[in-house]
Amino acid sequence: MSESKPGALGGIKVLDFGQMVSAPYCAKLFSDYGADVIKVESPGGDAARAMGPFPGDQPHPEKSGLYFINNTNKRGITCDVARAAGRDLFTRLLAWADVLIENNLPQQMQAWGLDYAGIAAINPRLVAISITPFGQTGPYSAWNGYDLNAYHLSGASSRYCGRPGEMPLQHGTFSADYFGAVAGASWGLAAVYGRDLVGGGQQLDVSCAEAIAAAFIGGQNIGGYAQDGRFDKRTGVGLPQGAPATIMPCKDGHVWMLALEPGQWNGLRKVMGDPDWADLDMFQNMKTRAENADVIYSFLHEWTMQHTKMEIQQKCQAAGCPITAVYTVAEAAEQPHLKARDYFVDMQHPELGKLKNLGAPFKLPACPGGPTRPAPLLGQHNDEVYGSVLGLNAGEIAALRQEGAI
Amino acid sequence: MNANALPLQGIRVVNFGWVWAGPVTGQTLSFLGAEVFKVESRARVDMTRNLPPFAEGKPSPDRSLSNHACWAGNGSVSLNLKEPEALQLVKDLIAQSDVVIENFGPGVMERLGLGYAELCKLKQDIILFSMPGAGLYGPMKDLRTYGLSLTSTTGLDSLVGYKGGDPVPVENAFSDPYSGIFGAFAIIAALNHRRNSGDGQHIDFSQQEAVMQMVGPAYMDYVLNGRSGGPKSNEHPLGAAAPHGVFPCKGDDRWISIVVASDDEWHKLLAALKHPEWLKVTEFATHEQRLLHIDTLHALLGEWTAQFDDRELADLLQGFGVAAAPVLNVGDLLGDPHFQARKTYIEVTHPLGFKETIYGAYVKTSRSKPVIRPGPTIGQDNDTVFKKILGLSEARYNDLVERQVIY
Repeated sequence: MSESKPGALGGIKVLDFGQMVSAPYCAKLFSDYGADVIKVESPGGDAARAMGPFPGDQPHPEKSGLYFINNTNKRGITCDVARAAGRDLFTRLLAWADVLIENNLPQQMQAWGLDYAGIAAINPRLVAISITPFGQTGPYSAWNGYDLNAYHLSGASSRYCGRPGEMPLQHGTFSADYFGAVAGASWGLAAVYGRDLVGGGQQLDVSCAEAIAAAFIGGQNIGGYAQDGRFDKRTGVGLPQGAPATIMPCKDGHVWMLALEPGQWNGLRKVMGDPDWADLDMFQNMKTRAENADVIYSFLHEWTMQHTKMEIQQKCQAAGCPITAVYTVAEAAEQPHLKARDYFVDMQHPELGKLKNLGAPFKLPACPGGPTRPAPLLGQHNDEVYGSVLGLNAGEIAALRQEGAI
Repeated sequence: MNANALPLQGIRVVNFGWVWAGPVTGQTLSFLGAEVFKVESRARVDMTRNLPPFAEGKPSPDRSLSNHACWAGNGSVSLNLKEPEALQLVKDLIAQSDVVIENFGPGVMERLGLGYAELCKLKQDIILFSMPGAGLYGPMKDLRTYGLSLTSTTGLDSLVGYKGGDPVPVENAFSDPYSGIFGAFAIIAALNHRRNSGDGQHIDFSQQEAVMQMVGPAYMDYVLNGRSGGPKSNEHPLGAAAPHGVFPCKGDDRWISIVVASDDEWHKLLAALKHPEWLKVTEFATHEQRLLHIDTLHALLGEWTAQFDDRELADLLQGFGVAAAPVLNVGDLLGDPHFQARKTYIEVTHPLGFKETIYGAYVKTSRSKPVIRPGPTIGQDNDTVFKKILGLSEARYNDLVERQVIY
């Protein structure tokens, strides 16, 4: 690994006390851009270790793809905070850290004696980023919950995803967790950056549901609803006010059909070979096309089914029309554009061997980030961290191991 | 000076971002204390300023309610950049700023005479944040997408839909606020690097790559097993929990989400349902069995949930520790007790006299309290910027307004 240039966040010390997606991904943004991140796991390990995907679907705590991808560049230790000795170690790490990132339910942190008031007493300069489905306050804050519950509470699915009369749909991944993670990372990093200016540390309380309900759904919908009392729901069509604007099947998959402005529509007509039906008056602007959606989509369907997604993308893009292929995960993973940008990186993992990973989410030319070191094995850095960070000697570490604190 | 110090106080940002993603980046930095000026012009009004509904139903580029919520926090200076004097004024402002944001396509800033090399001459350690759809270089850098279709190039769209069916589009651009907020992280990271090294830089933030981070779990299944996932309704993205879904409740279009991720939670669900025979069958006895028979399990559970009100059922299940929550629609959000308690939405009075409801700080902070201002009117900060910061005389300012340079 090349560590010649320090990362953008060099010198920032972070404890990742999270599991699954939200807190670990937030902490990965810190570690991939150069912060010193120590991941603290209970002796049983992050729940992501049991989630997979696993090679050949054979569960193995050191072979989880989810754990691998969200914990790069971190050092890993085990610590049982439910035991007094473990809790003591954890509080000493809190005193060392600039940032704590965690996603335990508030009542769990309280039960461990690690609620924010207690943490601030140990280290008043600590920035504590807490990312949970519902947040630290409010009537649902003590609810049990996961990504799915948070996403559907935000209004996102009812408004924007699914067919009318059928169940609202999730967003294909841990969308609420990721949204909460980047919100926590932005606000948390600012709080570290301006820590002297504002006079110390603080808690950042992220509710994944709220972040989406505000910045995605609220932004587009809440002003109108508050004033006029009207609101919309999902339609199953990409953009119901204009056409074409939706996902359609084609010869070998699907395409995102989009031709709204006159130039785009004319480009699409040209690509389709100027068919006679496209001359009809009702197809000459995006609104009347949408009013006749059934007709236009059936004409378009005949055409798309004769062509491949890449052919449609290339020809339409060349004609000034923003139509794209719906890339499968495999196609996205092999996309020449992303390869040319070095978005996929090679990594070496002790159990998984040599494999690809997604690279840095954005490029900082002066201080490149991105994963270089694989996610830690469970407790891999116990000796190193407890030795060099907390100054324990080998005998003390052995004793803690013996009593189950490590 | 505000007694409540905010962490990015003293950072000045010039924001060329338009439509949604770039303005959200500016908004986030503003909530965190930066001074953010959007550069726009009446010569070419941003399309989102003309999106209905309008305050009090009166159409005007200064009254779009959705535009205001998404842009709140950004200030606004109006300059017609086609005029050389306007370009010089914006350069003068950049010379006294820390960060420049833009979400045009690659090359547009250069054509405006505001490329990174040019900006460095104005301010040696400037941070230029570019957030094009597919990055600043690479064979598809000029790919045309809308925010709502950009996700199609990442694999994400291929995963959304009813189980076994075609992909179903998400009907608005999740990627815009996501990239907008994510972008603020990139900028603060660069500010931290500037503090450590004295150097600015040009950030290449590809929205495609930022969004594709969310595809990570499915990407790993491709890397490890060569599989490319597809739509699966509301099942767990990694197929690791059952039940994991959305189930019908009493009333029109009412639903509840329920997740059972462990044996412990399964027993809690059984207790909540009072141990019915139909759940105690061998098909559902173990985690593996439940995953194997998830369709049957979901169908049976849906018959049961349909007898209940969504909120009452969420309360009942949560009482037993089962992860369950109502599926809210837009009309539910404003009056929801949780969002009310957290002041997720707030009413503000706009300088033009009307009241509007926008969202407030979408992250809660225990020390630094963001100041939430209404959406900007076009050119609302012209006085401050041109007279106070740039020191133009009254006569010169009036002349520029007269000739629609400041416009």
